Amino acid sequence: MNETKKLVEIGNIVSNWELSADVNALVLECPDIVSVVKPGQFVMIKNEMGSTYLRRPFGVADVDKEQDLLLLIYRKAGKGTQELAQLDDGGPISVEGPLGNGFSFKNEGRTLLIGGGVGIAPIIYTARHLSKELDGPKPVILLGVRNHKELFWSDFVENFAEKLVYTTDDGSYGRKGFAIDAIPDILKEYPDIKRIKVCGPTAMMKGIAELAIKQGIECEVSLEKRMACGFGVCLGCTFEGKSGKRWKVCGDGPVFDAEEVFG
Amino acid sequence: MNLTRLATDFAGIRMATPVMGASGTFGFGVEYSDFLDLDQVGAIISKGLTPLPRAGNEGVRIAETPSGMLNCIGLENPGIDVFLRDILPKVRKEAPNTAFIANFSGSSVEDYGIMAEKLDVDGVDGIEVNISCPNVKEGGIVFGTDPKAAAAVTKEVKAHTSKPVIVKLSPNVTDITVMAKAVEEAGADALALINTLTGMVIDINTWKPLLGNVTGGLSGPAVKPIAVRMVYQVAQAVNIPIMGLGGIATAEDAIEFLLAGASTVAVGAENFVHPDAVVRVAEGIDAYLEKYNLSHVSELVGKVKIG
Repeated sequence: MNETKKLVEIGNIVSNWELSADVNALVLECPDIVSVVKPGQFVMIKNEMGSTYLRRPFGVADVDKEQDLLLLIYRKAGKGTQELAQLDDGGPISVEGPLGNGFSFKNEGRTLLIGGGVGIAPIIYTARHLSKELDGPKPVILLGVRNHKELFWSDFVENFAEKLVYTTDDGSYGRKGFAIDAIPDILKEYPDIKRIKVCGPTAMMKGIAELAIKQGIECEVSLEKRMACGFGVCLGCTFEGKSGKRWKVCGDGPVFDAEEVFG
Repeated sequence: MNLTRLATDFAGIRMATPVMGASGTFGFGVEYSDFLDLDQVGAIISKGLTPLPRAGNEGVRIAETPSGMLNCIGLENPGIDVFLRDILPKVRKEAPNTAFIANFSGSSVEDYGIMAEKLDVDGVDGIEVNISCPNVKEGGIVFGTDPKAAAAVTKEVKAHTSKPVIVKLSPNVTDITVMAKAVEEAGADALALINTLTGMVIDINTWKPLLGNVTGGLSGPAVKPIAVRMVYQVAQAVNIPIMGLGGIATAEDAIEFLLAGASTVAVGAENFVHPDAVVRVAEGIDAYLEKYNLSHVSELVGKVKIG
């Protein structure tokens, strides 16, 4: 469980820029949360100047602990994120966190990190943690994106990757198809891969989870579900696991063992 | 915060402040301990409890709406027995000084009596009878829209408890004062109003309702003027104390409810957005009392000037 004290902090926007037509990056200065947040955890943010009511969950994309910076990467999908994209540097954003439990880490073997769409965001910090903070073998990173206009992720992860593989929906870069299609070749090339961590659309995670379970590879999935609070009280994000136990994506997750979700 | 001018006795329940965390938005209270001092919470009102565990509704359960939200959780809870065995002791250990009100519902009049009796234990300071959940078919709202059924539930509960009984009313009725009077005559010690208003959101890309349960309960700032109006109407109609709730986000909102006739208030959806809201509202009320040189919060209750 997440034993770190949760808090609400006013973060200042250091930069807020466009990565592609519909994806933005936001860097916030928020020292208290940055000092404690772990890879795979999330924050709930609220633009107090905006017109939406509830906070929105964002997986932590990366941190710079020396400069107290938090990176969030978001798709401008709705009114709240469109308004967020309009905010200028210096403006305040209310950040609540750290929330949930992050990925688990063990000091053996190599990890295959897989991200799809904006689900790639938490893969960045996870890759940094594996390669720099834990100083273990660099992970292999497999990213599933729509097309060649979404290769901006490379700038964030390539320093942490043993190998970076893309699949695109339209074949405009890398391998054409879904991320899962690239896994057999990766496992052949890197037989030391002991575990998989994946964050992306549900269909993608389900397929990868089933493949991992079949091959006996440990696999963690990071779920996303609508939630109002982020800390276990609204019960908007609950689901029943394969064990029959009811879980809260926010407080018990968002990272779960793949077998409990898709087994 | 000057607790002497905020301390309130609500139908026999002693509270540090008149500001509570509303059922369904405050968990069992202890979830908020990182964000606020539970000693400064007037009362924790539990998530709605039922005789058996409930998994709640399938599909999407939360939707943002203009100045508020819709939910159709469907009373997901571990059931009364797990609550009494595992949760209540933990709450009493972590929040020993905070009043605790157990909210519950059932699917028959008898269920309500059984629940009241099970909750008649140490550590529970009062009980809130939910006859107004819009998101479950077999209970709640059925009793909340028929004055005879509401009275029958109230009588059954009163016959099975020594605790102060608060009945939570639904706004989804033509005349809420009819319900309030029926429940008062049946012996309720206090009223809580309003529960959520039934609403609906349609996804225009799929032509389907956004919520898994088709409709849901609307809460948040959008409902506040309706709630203030209903508290005002009910305060004119009954003599038992009222807990006002519905869209309270600030002390100014809470003070409107007090002036309308509520002697206590509860903060609901706002807890999700600003998890220190219950205490922040109490602090704001205290600052208001200071500003207007009032010696106790009760001096505001029902003081709205009409005509």
